[in-house]
Amino acid sequence: MSQVDYPRQVKELILHLKKLPGIGPRGAERIAIWLLQQDGGVAQSFAATVEKARGEVWECGVCGFFSTEQGCPICDGSGRDETVLCVVEQPTDILPLERSGAFRGHYHALRGKISPLDNVGPDDLRIGELMDRLKKGAFEEVILALGADVEGEATSNYLVEVLENEGLKITRLAMGIPVGGGLESADELTLFRAVQGRTALGRGGS
Amino acid sequence: MSALLTSLKLNQFRCFTALRLELGEGISLFVGDNAQGKTSILEAVCVLLRLQSPRASALGETVQFGQREFAVAGDYGDSELRLQFTSSGRRLSVDGETQKRSGDYLRASGLVVWMGNDDLALIRGGGEGRRRYLDFMAGQLFPGYRTALKAYERALRSRNFLLKRDKTPAWPQIDAYTKLLYEHGAVLTARRRELIERLQPYAVEAQCQISGREDEAVALEYRCGSDSSEALHTETGYDLAAVLWERREEELRRRQTVAGPHRDDLLLSLNGMPTAKFASEGQQRTQALALKLAQSRLFLAMKERAPVLLIDDIFGELDPQRRNALMQAWPEESQKLITTTHLDWLDPEWGRAATVYEVRMGKVAKP
Ligand SMILES: [Zn+2]
Repeated sequence: MSQVDYPRQVKELILHLKKLPGIGPRGAERIAIWLLQQDGGVAQSFAATVEKARGEVWECGVCGFFSTEQGCPICDGSGRDETVLCVVEQPTDILPLERSGAFRGHYHALRGKISPLDNVGPDDLRIGELMDRLKKGAFEEVILALGADVEGEATSNYLVEVLENEGLKITRLAMGIPVGGGLESADELTLFRAVQGRTALGRGGS
Repeated sequence: MSALLTSLKLNQFRCFTALRLELGEGISLFVGDNAQGKTSILEAVCVLLRLQSPRASALGETVQFGQREFAVAGDYGDSELRLQFTSSGRRLSVDGETQKRSGDYLRASGLVVWMGNDDLALIRGGGEGRRRYLDFMAGQLFPGYRTALKAYERALRSRNFLLKRDKTPAWPQIDAYTKLLYEHGAVLTARRRELIERLQPYAVEAQCQISGREDEAVALEYRCGSDSSEALHTETGYDLAAVLWERREEELRRRQTVAGPHRDDLLLSLNGMPTAKFASEGQQRTQALALKLAQSRLFLAMKERAPVLLIDDIFGELDPQRRNALMQAWPEESQKLITTTHLDWLDPEWGRAATVYEVRMGKVAKP
């Protein structure tokens, strides 16, 4: 007697779900069974939503954020500072900055960071597009808002080097003590940079 | 304050499928023939308390043969520590609460000094062993040191990879890492220097205690492994970025990063002469032991907490004089876990105060 297993269609569904980020074999199986057991067209509408989103949303060729037929909510929005450009690793990094309300300029997502050990070099990122934008646009300042890990830092250093002669002001996000965090939990380099990038309070000494 | 490791649990760690041990204060002796698992018990304690092994460069190497994951847990002081290693990474918890940052875990953990029969390599071997000695100590004393070391090593690997990869090296990319080496390296150099300065008086004291002589003057000195022009050296070290710029030709030829903390060294001397070249074997053994003893006394002084001493297989080898000196000089408050192949050396009086465990083929029994 041969061993009973799920029908081929179910196994295929599990196989696809397993490819999703953060989903293991057990999770994939659970989701597949759940989808198959729903009534009222839940699975059909799920499939249609995926298809619609994939067909109607694409990467904005300018900033790298998500764009639709109505255009890019960032590049085509009004009231932005045309002189400041903020460089981030991923398009998903744009939203936290937007929500903070601290920045109202334009964005440029690199779609990654330089990491030779993972075989990612400058040519694999949207650095050429960045250079083009800076040449053509009215930008005066570039803010580097990349991660503080080794690869993020190396990418920042690399950009500083290649942007050096573009006549732009280059800044990077200040590093400091997290809000609500004590000094004792900060490492030395964080403290060192926090002291270097300290802000003046009051008018003493002027 | 003297916190104790009161229990140890291993799963699929080295030769142990499953092991539970209750540990007490004072001396625990693990007795058994070679290759029965004695050293792995000490190694597990080191992994549990410090998240690193003196015998493996990566935690994955300690997984039991044929398995893919291991777990180590134990009660240290008031905290229940647990490390789980799986193919998708490691999970740390303190009192059942997951810790995302190893720094938070280590704050609840204790200090460790490892003494092994290969400590003589500290004197006779290459600089790598001495750097590991310094890094293992500094990582326990200075918060942030481990972070800086990890970042430095990753940047170094990337930089060396780029130097090797292309026929014409991509210097703008390479220099992006030079700056990182400089920044993180500055933390390493400054802390190592501070450490050596603090260690020096304890090393002098320990050397005298072990040798029983007053005239053996030990000196420790930090040496930057860079023979560049003196002008680039400053009081606190040297400007690594400038040194590497000056030695670019050499890097192009050798295809590797030629200077930095990964090439620095700890110079050891006795009465003004390098110990490795001019001291007798006995003096060298004494100095190796003195360095480890100094480490435990420094920990006690700086952290006001006695380290756990993990002493692997050296008691049977030491002559009675050094053995007695060590037992006189080690911190009384420290918990000591000792492996040995036989107990012939054991003074009956000491024996009464110690707990003996027999280790055989991955099993532990109290006789
Ligand atoms: Zn856009």
